[in-house]
Amino acid sequence: MNKKNTLSHNLPQNIKKTYFQRLAQGIWKNRGIYMILLPVLLWYILFQYVPMAGLQLAFKDYKVNLGIWGSPWSGFKHFNRLFSNPRFFNSVLLTLRINIGRLFITFPFPIILALLLNELRMNRYKRTLQTIFTFPNFLSWVVVTGITINVLSFDGLVNSLIRVFGGTPVSFIGNESLFIPLVFATEVWKSAGWGSIIYLAAMAGIDPGLYEASDIDGATRIQKIIYITLPSILPTVTVMFILATGNIMKKGFEQVFNLSNPAVRNVSEILDVYIYNITFRAVPNFGYSTALSLFRSVVNLFFLVIANAGSKWLTGSGLFGMEENQNE
Amino acid sequence: MNKKRKIDKIDIIVFIVLTMWGLSILIPFVNVLAVSFSTQKEYLETPLLLWPKKPTLENYAALFRNGRILIGYRTTLQLIGISLPVNLFLTICAAYGLSRKGYPGRKLIMKFVVFTMLFSGGIIPLYLTVRSYGLIGSLWSVALSTGLNTFYMIIMLNFFSSLPDSLIESAKLDGAGEYTIMFRIILPLSKAVLATVTLYYLVDRWNEWYHAMIMIRDTAKTPLQLILRSIILDSQLLDEVVTESVDIFSFSDGLKMGSIVVVMLPVMCVFPFLQKHFVKGVLIGAIKA
Repeated sequence: MNKKNTLSHNLPQNIKKTYFQRLAQGIWKNRGIYMILLPVLLWYILFQYVPMAGLQLAFKDYKVNLGIWGSPWSGFKHFNRLFSNPRFFNSVLLTLRINIGRLFITFPFPIILALLLNELRMNRYKRTLQTIFTFPNFLSWVVVTGITINVLSFDGLVNSLIRVFGGTPVSFIGNESLFIPLVFATEVWKSAGWGSIIYLAAMAGIDPGLYEASDIDGATRIQKIIYITLPSILPTVTVMFILATGNIMKKGFEQVFNLSNPAVRNVSEILDVYIYNITFRAVPNFGYSTALSLFRSVVNLFFLVIANAGSKWLTGSGLFGMEENQNE
Repeated sequence: MNKKRKIDKIDIIVFIVLTMWGLSILIPFVNVLAVSFSTQKEYLETPLLLWPKKPTLENYAALFRNGRILIGYRTTLQLIGISLPVNLFLTICAAYGLSRKGYPGRKLIMKFVVFTMLFSGGIIPLYLTVRSYGLIGSLWSVALSTGLNTFYMIIMLNFFSSLPDSLIESAKLDGAGEYTIMFRIILPLSKAVLATVTLYYLVDRWNEWYHAMIMIRDTAKTPLQLILRSIILDSQLLDEVVTESVDIFSFSDGLKMGSIVVVMLPVMCVFPFLQKHFVKGVLIGAIKA
């Protein structure tokens, strides 16, 4: 490789050549791997990157016969319309209200559940409970909505209980002021158990020596929770919180879409529902809908970048740093 | 930590809170089952229906007479039949290819894949793209647009990466090609993660409704969840498009609950036995986190 080292003016060219030679060699040697990855790359291109390129429609007037690429450019027309539409602003504000609300209201439930389960000493019962807690996570929001309507309807279980105790029945499903709390409650019902698993795993990894030492010092159980268990799972909590932050624009379509009904239209049209409504429940303007899609993707990317920076700052590694980690 | 101690106040509080929490999940299911086995009359007369006095199969009989549930079952099973092989093939190939080290472009491909987790076109461009491929109306539209889940792929990738490199090295010395290594060496060692990822995809396809709602308008190809959705919500959403297809048939509460039971029964039956496989995914995925 270094045969011609003495001819200094040839050096750059030589390095270049050997670099490409090595590259070609490397590629040829590993051709089996590329063959395996080929269908995967093809899928990513056809079903992720081509749609991504389709976002150009946000700046075009979509014509069915011309397709995405052939339709004429229309500048920022759709965005001008978008940013002067109060319905759009309402949907953005509602999305933020619901999904930021989740960060503070539903987020702690899996942690509380994990702490409680960790303190439960009856192992058999604990396993049974965990099965019950995690199961609803694997039901679709369609099923969960059906169950919710059944339990909360006028003739349902909860209202029957209210009647038995002499109260007046409440309309839970068609009540604007109760819709967002209902979203939070159903999420806790469905997903808190599943979410608790990661915290329970973190708790299982705590050094038992810490608890033994605190026993000698005469710590109470509450003190052990506050001074040992909670600080030990804090890194996990941080990561989960940051991950949740990165979902602020995206989360909740399936849930809100199913739980909503005409009576709560004003408090259930989050951004994704708005996109669906104007595209598939009305005469579609694909350019305008795509402008909305682009807005959503860009804002979500913004939240993810913030979340990633937060993760780097707090834990020393980014959320999407696996490519570096695995090269070690 | 597990020293035998007397039961103290905290044990009692923990027990009570957890039991209440568990009941708040369990009772709605019991209620759904009870309603599905009772007549409309009993449903309206009994305030707290947890056990029907005169159980009847009438609701289930009516449900299957109506036939829509059967269409749903058939479609969903067909969807699983074509989706699952695609899902597993793409996921295994991606995870294997990316778990191998030291070939040119690996980092670039990883970035190419991870970028789709950060940024995506969203449903409208996806719909138009799938339409331009001529797939709208076919189950393949759903099967292919949900062809690979990058999160599940990373779970598998984490697992493959944890296997010792020496396995692959020695196989290569014996002259094994990549396919041989993947099928003969890596996959047999990865049964646990394969089971987990297969289950995740199965549950996802079982619960599929969103892509199908957008991409398939043919009522003879409606998956189970969408049939259920129209049964439950028909009475609520009169402006819904799906109502066109419904024959004049009013769904009593018993019928609605019966259809919920029919839809969730398979998941309910297998979940307790396969729970540990579901949980494994969180733990393998958490290595990174």
